[in-house]
Amino acid sequence: MRNLRIGLFLGWRQIKRSNIWASTLIISVVTLTVINLIVISGILNGITDGVLRDVRNQALGDIAIKPADDETRIKNTQRIMRELETYQDIQSFTPRYEESVTIEANYNERRDLSVDRDIIAVNIQGIDPITENQTLGVSTLVNEGEYLTKDDRGYILIGKHYVDKYAKEYGDVFDSLKNIEPGTVVKVSNGYESREFTVKGIINSKIDMVSLSVFMPELDFRRMFNRVDYDANKILIKLKPGSDSQAVVNRLLSNNVAGDAKIELFEEGIPKYIKDVTETFNFLSTAVGTISIFVATITVFIIIFINTLSRRQHIGILKAVGINKKALQYAYAFQATFYGLIGVSLSLLIIFFLLVPYFIKNPIDFPYTDVELSVSTFELINKCLFLLTMMLISGFIPAWMIVRKNTLDSILGRK
Amino acid sequence: MTMIKATNIHRKFGTGKLLVHVLKGLNISVEEGEFVAIMGKSGAGKSTFMYQLSVLDEPSEGEIIINNVNIKDLSEQEKTEFRLNTLGYIFQNYALVPDLSASENVMLPLLMRGLDWSSAKDIANSTIDSVDMHEKYNSLPAELSGGEQQRISIARAIAGKPKILFADEPTANLDSISGKQVIDIITKLNLENKQTVVMVTHEREYAMGCNRIIHMEDGLIMNEEKLR
Repeated sequence: MRNLRIGLFLGWRQIKRSNIWASTLIISVVTLTVINLIVISGILNGITDGVLRDVRNQALGDIAIKPADDETRIKNTQRIMRELETYQDIQSFTPRYEESVTIEANYNERRDLSVDRDIIAVNIQGIDPITENQTLGVSTLVNEGEYLTKDDRGYILIGKHYVDKYAKEYGDVFDSLKNIEPGTVVKVSNGYESREFTVKGIINSKIDMVSLSVFMPELDFRRMFNRVDYDANKILIKLKPGSDSQAVVNRLLSNNVAGDAKIELFEEGIPKYIKDVTETFNFLSTAVGTISIFVATITVFIIIFINTLSRRQHIGILKAVGINKKALQYAYAFQATFYGLIGVSLSLLIIFFLLVPYFIKNPIDFPYTDVELSVSTFELINKCLFLLTMMLISGFIPAWMIVRKNTLDSILGRK
Repeated sequence: MTMIKATNIHRKFGTGKLLVHVLKGLNISVEEGEFVAIMGKSGAGKSTFMYQLSVLDEPSEGEIIINNVNIKDLSEQEKTEFRLNTLGYIFQNYALVPDLSASENVMLPLLMRGLDWSSAKDIANSTIDSVDMHEKYNSLPAELSGGEQQRISIARAIAGKPKILFADEPTANLDSISGKQVIDIITKLNLENKQTVVMVTHEREYAMGCNRIIHMEDGLIMNEEKLR
């Protein structure tokens, strides 16, 4: 206890009366190190969080009800939807009806019959524009033209990957139609009949599966495909914030929904390529984070070591007059930890009051998503505690190395 | 009572062709209350000898008994505590901790001994008064002159009432006036408080207040000169 008391006293006095520039340098290094540690992995985590967020909010919802195995449609869709309306945790849901079609454009302008038709094969989805927008916010993704209304007839929305002026940015990856703008008339064919529809809007999302969507109002869809039953191909559900997805699924199962359909949580429905992307970035985040911590520790160790080394003579003198080695070690460990605490505190202030708000207002434009700084409290606390522990050790080890040396050699500056 | 008894002290540095034999078999005893000066030319081994006697270094051969304690029997930790509780040091370069005020520099060994803050401060300040450094309690070493720093160094050395006070060329970095003041303080401690003192010095005039002077040359004691 006495050694600790003396150590804290010596350490505090050294901090209080040290050169202001040296202290500022040490604290700056710690601050920047922590910011680097948090921000780099925060951006990488932000990529995965952003992608998953957008996939959930724009494409899959929180829960998906799909046809049972060996079925193509959800039986008793109406009963299930009435059931869903009774659930307090459900904010909204939307049924989708799907069929395969071809869409042709520029057919009136085609004079040379030897030239290929401007035609693509797609899965078209019949939607209730209101529930679709409530559940997946599709209207916010229409960047050209307008979104559908419930009373629209003869209109479709088309994803940008099917529009040549957008698709050619990706090379020849997507089959696309030329000269598509809001107002363009296209021919939709289901093999039995063809009808003309006007492109009302173009959907622009960073999520490929959304930009590869084509929507038409449900009533048009039923008429074109003679869907007299109301059995949907998919029902997407959005839960209220804070709801327990699994609990909702369990309740659905207990109410016999599973007999007519398959129920899938968002996590189960994530496409493999998105899982691969998120796993890759998670790995990078972990790797970069681990390397950053070691670099941070070594940087701080070097600074504290040089600082302690420059006081070798003083340490020798203190030993000479009878100050215990442990007291000296505690003094330097305390100093290093103090600088660490100040540096970590400053960095947290900068991260939470400057950087996080900045990235929310100015997200990074990444091809798959808009990236904000993703900082998990648990991870942050872990990293800061680890760094503080490393700083304590960084202060202790140089002092331990120097107090072990011969007292006289330290006083006289002998090696 | 014999405070220091050193027998056959050798100190060698290096090995093989680089071996330097600095102390070549020294014998000395210092009685309680004696003021002993060690003098000699540069390279005579004076400071090296004092480092052995003051438990800052370990002889290559020989035995040192201080206050009836054989130093060879002590571990490193025990030596540190022995220096804290039994010995006092005045270094050539004052050796004050730059981050601590005058009062705190003097308090530090007292705190290490276990005194509470208040008691340590009272003793420190009264000791500082005894070396005529009134009102310098809160001054940092950088704010003091060389002579003032050395007086604080003396205060630190004597605050704990050490059995033996070691002074390694205490006036080396001081002007003649400051140097004389420092020697007067040390001499007064010896005469009034019967403080046992061992001092290394180049200046014969500063050694005139001692009981005896030990003359060294080339690692050997050449003679002892009794003054009083």
